[in-house]
Amino acid sequence: MRSELNQTSLIDRYLFRQLDEEETQVFEAKLLVNEALAEKVAAQRLAHRLIRRHIQAEERHRFETIYRLLITDTTFADQIKKIFA
Amino acid sequence: MTQKDDPIIPLYRESFPDFARLVHRMGGTLEQAKDCFHDALLIYLEREKAGKLEIRSSPKAYLLGTARICWLRTLKNEPTIPLPEGLETPDQTDSNEEEREITLLKSLQKSGRKCLELLKAFYYDHCSMKDIAERFGFNGNRSATVQKYKCLEKVREEIKTMESYAK
Repeated sequence: MRSELNQTSLIDRYLFRQLDEEETQVFEAKLLVNEALAEKVAAQRLAHRLIRRHIQAEERHRFETIYRLLITDTTFADQIKKIFA
Repeated sequence: MTQKDDPIIPLYRESFPDFARLVHRMGGTLEQAKDCFHDALLIYLEREKAGKLEIRSSPKAYLLGTARICWLRTLKNEPTIPLPEGLETPDQTDSNEEEREITLLKSLQKSGRKCLELLKAFYYDHCSMKDIAERFGFNGNRSATVQKYKCLEKVREEIKTMESYAK
């Protein structure tokens, strides 16, 4: 992989706490002196948060679809109606 | 897979009425019951896909236990789904931060849906590189690995660009 992609992979391992103690110390020392790297780490952390948000939104949509499907089943719909009657 | 074949349906059908009953008894609404139940399903599936699901009695009991915790947290107004270690921000309750993330995500969903799907397959579905290569039509594991990091880089750079415009 080209060096930029290797760096992306290294940042990932740092964010997911997959580096050992020594590697973490070396990486964090670089973060202190390399502003560009620190910016990349912050952006990559946010990228992961957004990927997670995307996944959660897709899964919630899937669950809502399941609910709408189940509520067309009279047995399930009657159960829910009785609870919230 | 069609909607009717979704493997979650039997567990949903079997568990949701019991949870809805609990929420109703505690003064909650159907919408609140659904929200919490869906949060619990998310946690359940995430753990299952990561191989971290430790079921002692039954999937239903596990799911209902998780949903109950989510409901109690909702009553206390606490976040129900924690972020994995390393992805937290100093103040997760900041509503400006939340709004900013939603705007960024909408933009990313427009410009890079394929990349988001690939990253989902890797980080959430925990697919192997071989599976990812087959599913997305890459020429082998190495090509899938390179594409994964290219996508992550693309998302990261788009975030940096969008944020610099916002300043």
